[in-house]
Amino acid sequence: MEKEEMVKKLTPIFRNVFGDETLEVTDELSALNVASWDSLSHMLLITEVENQFTIKFKLKDLNKMKNVGDMMAMINSKL
Amino acid sequence: MTFTSLNFLIFFPLLALCYFITPVKYRLYTLLAGNYFFYINVKPVYALLLAGITLCTYYFTRQIQKNDKESIKKIYLIINIILILLPLFFFKYFSKVNDFFFSALNSIHIRWPLPDIKLLLPIGISFYTFMSIGYIIDVYNEEIEAEENIGVVAAFTSFFPLLLSGPIERAKNMLPQFKQLKQPDYNSIFQAMKLILWGYFMKLVIADRIGIYVDIVFANSGHHTGRTLLLASILYPFQVYADLGGYSLIAIGTAGLLGFKVMLNFNRPFFATSIAELWRRWHISLITWLTDYVYTPLTFTFRKYKMRGIILALMITFIISGIWHGAALTFLVWGFIQGIYLSIEALTSKRRMQFEKKYNLRKKGWYIFLEIVVVFILFAASQVIGRAENMATAFNIYHRIFSVSGPLFIGDAPSILIYSIIGLLMLLIKDFTDEFAPSQMQFFNNKRKSVRIMAYATIAILILLIGVFDGGQFIYFKF
Repeated sequence: MEKEEMVKKLTPIFRNVFGDETLEVTDELSALNVASWDSLSHMLLITEVENQFTIKFKLKDLNKMKNVGDMMAMINSKL
Repeated sequence: MTFTSLNFLIFFPLLALCYFITPVKYRLYTLLAGNYFFYINVKPVYALLLAGITLCTYYFTRQIQKNDKESIKKIYLIINIILILLPLFFFKYFSKVNDFFFSALNSIHIRWPLPDIKLLLPIGISFYTFMSIGYIIDVYNEEIEAEENIGVVAAFTSFFPLLLSGPIERAKNMLPQFKQLKQPDYNSIFQAMKLILWGYFMKLVIADRIGIYVDIVFANSGHHTGRTLLLASILYPFQVYADLGGYSLIAIGTAGLLGFKVMLNFNRPFFATSIAELWRRWHISLITWLTDYVYTPLTFTFRKYKMRGIILALMITFIISGIWHGAALTFLVWGFIQGIYLSIEALTSKRRMQFEKKYNLRKKGWYIFLEIVVVFILFAASQVIGRAENMATAFNIYHRIFSVSGPLFIGDAPSILIYSIIGLLMLLIKDFTDEFAPSQMQFFNNKRKSVRIMAYATIAILILLIGVFDGGQFIYFKF
């Protein structure tokens, strides 16, 4: 999937999960830049992403995703 | 051998000397020998257990690494975890299980006296068990590679500063340090000494002094007034913080003197503005361990249930944490209460955030102060259950706090309370300035050398003058 299309699909999910209507989805975005990104919201995010792209992550995949760039690469590998 | 014993004050400089005069190539083995000497001094037979757990961890992590088949890796992982957990379960829960079967049989009129084995929990078993399990899971999850050198693995599982009460370190952080031993520089030695000094202050001046008062009051809670029980309940969380926090600082500092960097275990917990934040600041190494190896796999498994799944995972994680603290109903309830607190916060977090944003509350001092106070009260209330001998005593303490009037118990020596409060105030002032004004009001990092020297001298003198040198053990040794 093209990056632009993926960002377009991910943006509303991120904004909804983290409660920030101005959040911009970039490769570098990670839990370090978003105050409300904690272990709780992280799992809600994972679930929403899985539903949106109809994919299934493995527990191992979670540790490999250090930022949104990693997440997008992971999603692409599963499509 | 504990950090506050004379033996340790002899052992550590000798070990450090041997360590640094050994050629770098063999230094790891000097450290390893020192680690085992330290543990053998606690009780020789325990060292066999530690060696067994280490061998088991080494063998299975190598097998996990070598095999390509996911199913076989998983089998090795499960076998290894079970084998490592068995001793912990045996030592920690055997007597309780024994008692349970005895009373169960007794209730149906079968008197079958099972052998009454009162086992002493090997000190530190939880901590090196958890460190080993973390390592195995990290290898399984391909976070790190299984170490080839058994000496490195053995040095990690037996590293003496962390052996008895943590911090529960991760292989990811420690193995590279054992593989490439570093010589500490002047600055890190200085920083390490500072941590050790403050750690001893927290333990000897604050924790053990408060402990005297808290122990007297909780031992006879049925005879004390509400005011006294309230004060002891307020003091107890500070005692635990100063005890384990102080221990952790000595551990981090001791490791630092040998050139190792160890994770922080407490981060000014009583300035947390939510229970979730408190648990990110309190016993950090245990909580991050539980988050990574219990909570995250659970939330991942329950993720299709969304918020309900998260709450279930929170409850299970904290109940496990409670049971780990002890096989008693009080600890189970304690864990359950933490789970309830966190679940309520999780359920209301979005609405709270919106409310705070609307009224710009996060920038208002009074609101933050209010949150800090509420979080402390909730935590202290739950700690009463963790501290009480049983649930009936805990309820009785709550009841008496609100119903029994009378004077505050001072005891024969008012100095106990006075010294406790002096120490506590110093701790709070230090934590307060570090939290809210890190660049101002500095004592230990002041630009002026005279202020720094005065600060260190004051702490050292206070340790010698009002430190409790015949105090009890560290609270977390029993876990």
